[in-house]
Amino acid sequence: MDFLNPYNLQVITFIVLNCILAISIFITLATGQLSLGHAGFMSIGAYTSSILSKNADMPLFIAILAGALMAGLIALLIGAPTLKLHGLYLAIATLGFGEVVRVILLNMKITNGALGITGLKSLGTYLYDWEKMLGITAQSLGVTVPVIKSLSTLVFMLLLFLLILFLTLRLNSSRLGRAFEAIRADETAARAMGIQVNYYKMLAFIIGSVLAGLCGGLFAHITTAITPNDFNYHKVVEILSFAVIGGTEVVWGALFGAIALTTLPEVLRGLAEYKMIFYGAIMVLVMAVRPRGLIGSDTLQKLFRRNKKHNDQPKGVE
Amino acid sequence: MFLQQLVNGLTVGSTYSLIALGYTLIFGVLGIINMAHGQVFIFGSFVGLILMTSFDMPIAVAFIASIVVSGILGLILEFTAMRPLRKKNVPHLASLISTIGFATLLEEGMHKLFGADSRAFPDTVGSTSFQLGAVQIRAVDLIILGISIILMVVLHFWINKTKVGKAIRATAENTETASVLGINTNMVIVTTVVLASSLGGIAGMLIGMTYSALIPTMGMTLGFKGLAVLILGGVGSIPGAMICGLILGVIEVFTVAYGASSYRDAVAFGLIILILLIRPQGLFGRKA
Amino acid sequence: MKGNSISKSLLSVLLGTSLLVGCSSGASNPSSTGAAPETNNAAPTESAGEFTAKIGGVFILSGSSAAYGEAQKKGLDLALEELNETNKGKLKIEIQYEDTGGKKESAINSVNKLINQDNVVAIIGPTLSGEMLAAGPVANEAETPIFGISNTVEGINDIGEFVFRNSLPESIAIPTAMKQAIEKKGSKTAAFIYAENDDFSVSGFQTMKKTAEEMGLQNLGETTFAIGDVDFSAQLTKIKQLNPDVLLVSALYKEGSMVVKKARELGINSLIVGGNGFNNPKVFEIAGPAAEGLIVATPFSPEKQDEKVQKFVKAFEAKYGSKPDQFAAQAYDSLYIMSQSLLAAGTADRNALRDELAKLKDFEGVSGKLSFDEGRNPIGDAVVVEAKDGKFVPFE
Repeated sequence: MDFLNPYNLQVITFIVLNCILAISIFITLATGQLSLGHAGFMSIGAYTSSILSKNADMPLFIAILAGALMAGLIALLIGAPTLKLHGLYLAIATLGFGEVVRVILLNMKITNGALGITGLKSLGTYLYDWEKMLGITAQSLGVTVPVIKSLSTLVFMLLLFLLILFLTLRLNSSRLGRAFEAIRADETAARAMGIQVNYYKMLAFIIGSVLAGLCGGLFAHITTAITPNDFNYHKVVEILSFAVIGGTEVVWGALFGAIALTTLPEVLRGLAEYKMIFYGAIMVLVMAVRPRGLIGSDTLQKLFRRNKKHNDQPKGVE
Repeated sequence: MFLQQLVNGLTVGSTYSLIALGYTLIFGVLGIINMAHGQVFIFGSFVGLILMTSFDMPIAVAFIASIVVSGILGLILEFTAMRPLRKKNVPHLASLISTIGFATLLEEGMHKLFGADSRAFPDTVGSTSFQLGAVQIRAVDLIILGISIILMVVLHFWINKTKVGKAIRATAENTETASVLGINTNMVIVTTVVLASSLGGIAGMLIGMTYSALIPTMGMTLGFKGLAVLILGGVGSIPGAMICGLILGVIEVFTVAYGASSYRDAVAFGLIILILLIRPQGLFGRKA
Repeated sequence: MKGNSISKSLLSVLLGTSLLVGCSSGASNPSSTGAAPETNNAAPTESAGEFTAKIGGVFILSGSSAAYGEAQKKGLDLALEELNETNKGKLKIEIQYEDTGGKKESAINSVNKLINQDNVVAIIGPTLSGEMLAAGPVANEAETPIFGISNTVEGINDIGEFVFRNSLPESIAIPTAMKQAIEKKGSKTAAFIYAENDDFSVSGFQTMKKTAEEMGLQNLGETTFAIGDVDFSAQLTKIKQLNPDVLLVSALYKEGSMVVKKARELGINSLIVGGNGFNNPKVFEIAGPAAEGLIVATPFSPEKQDEKVQKFVKAFEAKYGSKPDQFAAQAYDSLYIMSQSLLAAGTADRNALRDELAKLKDFEGVSGKLSFDEGRNPIGDAVVVEAKDGKFVPFE
């Protein structure tokens, strides 16, 4: 029972959130596109959902969903003209997009500028309200209110994560996933084979952005306060490093990256101030020795060949 | 006020041009965007500035130190973050990521080494100002504008007329063919990266003189502006970088003077998005 | 190729092991803390007479704002040394520090860790208002007092019953400075410049604007810049043309000092009044002689001729070799308040401590007299200082 203290639960909740973020950037990278605007899409999701839930009193889940869709809509607008160009342009255009969004958020009245939106109802409180309606209270379970709230948040996030992971794996083994892989391997060849490259690239970019928007909404309602500075360039580098260090070939790589990079600073709290130096150094190092990330499809193959017994390992990676 | 703001804009713009030259050189030869350029030159200029303030060195020594340190950092960048990625069949975005990593490393390193505070640049010859009608101009404004133009002309000729320049252009055209033809392409690339970084060292010191202060995070903010200029001018075009730098500076200053100052930082990237829609090869670029 | 694969596997092993270590220590730590986190008691060791209280300190100790957190830590460490000496036999305070790096998630994690794993009786910090707005509710829900020492934006105390602060909101400090300065100089018109991407500066600007309206100052114009900017020529050229009697600057000292320097360089002769953020000796390093005449409201000035203040400044200089700023001073005061309230409570219990803190009245600290009203808002007085000969002296 000791393990279930709000601290541990909170840390794991953030790890799960980062895992979803890692999937979001992984899907975009799966077609060989680099989006440096993920923090921008996160902020769109965060602000849309916060304004809807706080000012318009919308139910939380609908607000978060609306935030995610809004991010997708904007991704459609920004992606359409740039996807036809060299991948470098998308990177710079999305980087610029993130900065423009940040400046706009700083200037709008409804977003409250640099002061941001505070006092949001937390996801835990919302879930606990539901549980109370079902007759589950902290007293009946013999735990404190913070514990049950953190626990509910974590369980909700885990379920959501598993759903997204399941869908991602399904996607990877589908026709769509194979098209993504073909595009990443060689865009010209894929085009020659009759794959509608631009359509699939756009799709991947939008799915990634929707997920980023979703994470934004979740982030806002877990931390209960957001400001434009939460979604700056450092956030972009952080999200990017999950996938890039972990691996961009299979989703497990990106997840490994997210888990490792969120856990390490928490464990090595004394060294936390060197976190960004560590991120930077490891990014250079990994790119130099293993440009496709620490965990690639070959890593998993080796692992499976060695441990034939572990047949119950997740499917979807061949 | 209009003329004064125009002068302000040109001064800011020439710092952007100087920074953009570094991006342009590296992109021209390697076809990659060096995301660490801003951090490299700010690091160099910080070393120069500290020599001046803490060790009472003359400004000439500070300039040389800044050039040398930036050059060395460029060399390290080439060997750690660029060269390993050229050897194998790696995704073309890998270099973008590894230079982002290098930039993060340098920026946090600066926070640890020099602190996160802004540092005042001592008053130099550049700070003397004179009145020209209603316009107040400082010597440094003219110096930085002059140096940017000189550097642009020299670089333009060097690349178009000299033998080394020819080798650079050949490498830019096609690295493999160039090396078959007996050009030491690795040498050419090292030269370019070090040259671009050293130029950054000069730019950084001039920027310190212009704004009378340096901040470690300037590497990122000014680097972004340089990046915007690179795209606006058309990647790889030296005159494009030069002119678009000045244009961006003037537009930004006019946004503050006649529009809303709080939208200033959105101007650069707003223009990028616009230009990618209308003329993706940039104002001065040729269609690929 | 071979070298590559070796370094590859080395790297993977390295990361893998550190991750494993991470998992195991994460799992074993809570069980070793013993005390059940469900109960709200901090479960102190209460021997006859002396009791121990563990307090958490949550500050920015890394990243680009680390300077603020470092100053706060210094102030707390100095107070800790002195208090444990004077309270010998009655109370022993321990401080555990956590770094947030200025990030909200980190602030929430730190507060959660201190409350649930380290069982602290109260928390001092976090550094930024934004962090407090995210982490405050967590502490409040867990019924643990959380004490802000540098959160000046409005609405901090509304988070809940367990949230306190000794940092005067800008709404008290700024009007004091403006009234004193402007009345004396007889200014009629004002222009504003502030950092639009910083919550502290924006909050300060809003107060300045409101006060100016109340005082009947004519508003000639407002202009902004961003944190990290170095070029202010366009904004200040515009202001020069407006030619206001008083220029109100809401910024942190980093950019603020550069604004002041550039303004004087351009020949703006207006009176300049700044917010709390200017109160730092670094202003003189950056702005140099241009800082002369700058007027700032602050709860703390190291030049204040007060026995308590001078004793603190001397002790601080002896220990760290530099003058304390307001961040250090308010941190220093906060621990004295904690100690006083803990002694009054007689036990390291979170609820008992909260009740004692709420009763605070006329506390004499180095940053002035402090009381809490029924809404736990700090009531205190601000000192108005003026930059003269390279330091801040009381404004007359």
